[in-house]
Amino acid sequence: MTAVTANTVSLSWYEASARQRIDALVDAGSFTEFIGPELREMSPHLAIFDLPEQFDDGVVIGRGRLDGAPVLIAAQEGRFMGGAFGEVHGAKLTGLLRAARAQHQDVLILFDTGGVRLQEANAGELAIAEIMRAVVEARRDGLSVVGLIGGRAGCYGGGSLIGGTCSRLIVSEQGRISVSGPEVIETNRGIEEFDSRDRALVWRTMGGKHRFLIGGADMFVDDEALAFRKAAIDALKVGRRCDVTVLEAEQTRLERRLQRFGEAEDAVEIWQALGVDNPTDVPALPTSAFLRAADNRENADDAR
Amino acid sequence: MSDWGMQKAALGERLTAGRQHAKGKIIPIPSLPAFLKAVVRSGDRVCLEGDNQKQADILASALANLDPADISDLHMVQSGVVLPSHLDIFEKGIARRLDFSYSGPQSARIARMLFGRKIELGAVHTYLELFARYFIDLTPNVALIAAVSADKDGNLYTGPNTEDTPTVVEATSYKNGLVVAQVTEIVDKVPRVDIPGDLVHFVVEAGRPFYVEPLFTRDPAAITETQILTAMLAIKGIYAPYGVRRLNHGIGFNTAAIELLLPTYGEKLGLKGKVCTHFALNPHPTMIPAIESGWVEQIHCFGSEVGMEDYVAARSDIFFTGPDGSLRSNRAFCQTAGLYACDMFIGSTLQIDLEGHSSTVTTSRIAGFGGAPNMGSDPRGRRHPSEPWLKAGAEAAPDSSAAMRRGRKLVVQIGETFGDSNVPLFVEQLDALELARKLDLDLAPVMVYSDDVTHIVTEEGIANLLMCRTKDEREQAIRGVAGYTDIGRARDANLVEQLRQRGVIQRPEDLGIDPLDADRRLLAARSIKDLMLASGGLYRPPSRFRNW
Repeated sequence: MTAVTANTVSLSWYEASARQRIDALVDAGSFTEFIGPELREMSPHLAIFDLPEQFDDGVVIGRGRLDGAPVLIAAQEGRFMGGAFGEVHGAKLTGLLRAARAQHQDVLILFDTGGVRLQEANAGELAIAEIMRAVVEARRDGLSVVGLIGGRAGCYGGGSLIGGTCSRLIVSEQGRISVSGPEVIETNRGIEEFDSRDRALVWRTMGGKHRFLIGGADMFVDDEALAFRKAAIDALKVGRRCDVTVLEAEQTRLERRLQRFGEAEDAVEIWQALGVDNPTDVPALPTSAFLRAADNRENADDAR
Repeated sequence: MSDWGMQKAALGERLTAGRQHAKGKIIPIPSLPAFLKAVVRSGDRVCLEGDNQKQADILASALANLDPADISDLHMVQSGVVLPSHLDIFEKGIARRLDFSYSGPQSARIARMLFGRKIELGAVHTYLELFARYFIDLTPNVALIAAVSADKDGNLYTGPNTEDTPTVVEATSYKNGLVVAQVTEIVDKVPRVDIPGDLVHFVVEAGRPFYVEPLFTRDPAAITETQILTAMLAIKGIYAPYGVRRLNHGIGFNTAAIELLLPTYGEKLGLKGKVCTHFALNPHPTMIPAIESGWVEQIHCFGSEVGMEDYVAARSDIFFTGPDGSLRSNRAFCQTAGLYACDMFIGSTLQIDLEGHSSTVTTSRIAGFGGAPNMGSDPRGRRHPSEPWLKAGAEAAPDSSAAMRRGRKLVVQIGETFGDSNVPLFVEQLDALELARKLDLDLAPVMVYSDDVTHIVTEEGIANLLMCRTKDEREQAIRGVAGYTDIGRARDANLVEQLRQRGVIQRPEDLGIDPLDADRRLLAARSIKDLMLASGGLYRPPSRFRNW
């Protein structure tokens, strides 16, 4: 029997499952899962709609070591219901963040989500609020909560709100961050406002490069598990405060950004205003060239 | 004594009427409505060029804007009914009768209009059939065609999407019909002459490119692991043992998976140079990794594919290109090549019945045939031998004398037992039969007939229908790869096991394939961007396929 040639050297973050991402992220063999699939903590709602359930409700949580240091980790599985937040899914994340505070350990959240699960919307919305509160409380205790975004489902809806409360966001080109998804915008505002099938438009409006350029994400990496790992190690080295001064600085930055770019019709105009040479080439640039071009990007370093 | 030369005289009248609106051969856009009214006659047989990909869209709209009080009862003969305006012509009562071969996006509306008797249907054809009839009993009086540019003499440059144009012009112009072309621009000298100006009577400068649809782009990101498994089965269980070098791939994710597995899985199996060297195929973007890693020697194309123009031009060692550098496609020649010079067709379908007939028809849609029935059929006129052809022939009739035995083309249907939205691939009865009953058609629209199909591949295994000796065996062989569909669950387990012992059915494990190895990491490209990178930036995917 011929062995197959699966590429095990590099792992595409975009392609990987939640469990593959965790395995590739932490120090080899260091991960211990909490409330694993064997406990079958499943959604109490999906069966009502005759929808399939998953034993981990689409999120894997636990503890591992990153470059020797213990961290708590949550990874959403974008292939199960688009990584959406349901009651159990949300409770696992809330619990993990509270444990972080109790044990004084940093947290990595591997986002891959379309937002709240419509079939359990109330529970999901409540979970988003609880998670945001738990993130802020953990950060006020001096902990880092780092978000990693580069999965197929992107980081949408409530997921992007949680992302907004994190101390650092790491994103790849494939990663998308936005409150409303492309289809939602098109449905509500018409195809003239946003053509959700124009994928180049979607990516230059919500994709990793654009978010990095306007300070919506703090680190930009290749679509490689190893690149995410290195960035996560670096992100945890930076101490982050979370107090009134920081929040006011972020508010000021966002107001300034709106003033600067609020009239732009398209992301390319923003890139031009940022002083990027040949802004239309941005989507095609490889990572190293992009990082050079992004020299004058908006950043949120003082504000987070 | 007959009055000879009447057709030439009639053409002369049309030319005279048309010249009133022309400067030389050129029709300014504002004069187009009056021009069409002057040259088209009620009852004309009109070929409005609608191909698989490119569309004479400006001429289509202009035709649909004619007043049915002036022009009516047209008989449309065109391969593709693709644009809304193609059917508006019938809705308004300008045209009455239709002979076509493919209707993709208009399939539901065509069905409604047939039920409502807005259209009088001649027949649904395969491309080659319709082209053949252009020369026998469906010769157009008027052809409205599409090209990229023209010079003032009417010489046309079609660019990479030549497609049906030479065939349409040949049939029309040499039989005293009128040929009108829409072009993006008029130039002093065309990059190459695809259609000689002698055959083109008038040219409309549209000022913008004709409409063309990227039909053959399959995003590798959407390929599932089940599709990868079916692709591994096909490569190891069919391509390898038959040594299939000359072939055609249908569109679909299963065959896209095969294309992307050649440089990885195929390479590991040592098949490079032994399979997949010559294709009749559109320039599928998913072929780029196989081409770049040296698998492919030659590809002839039916049409082009949006975004592939520069890549194809830079790979003239593989593709047919003109002196200007760009692709020269030709649907009629490529269909003939696929029919007579290929040893295998492999493609996906929507429904397969217990005898092995397959169809892409559902009860509310008439999608037409396109080229698949030509690709997916055994040509009885073939006389040259080849290893796969002879081997398949021998499997079908092992007791006959080798020198007197016809070979067989391999016709492979590939798919998952449950397709899109979990609809089963296998059915007791094709929806095509119900449609034929509702529309009172003489023939049910069957895409590939049972006696042409040689293999069916699903994730459960391969059924070799060549080796089935009775109708019963055939049915059990089909049930035996139909998985958990109702058809699959109603199998006779003992008979299926016997068929497996004889090698009629082969499971993944019989071929040494572990289903767990069917991993997306096996794909030589996993995204459109990977394809672009593999092409060295020559492939420029349309905006809608980019995720960067």
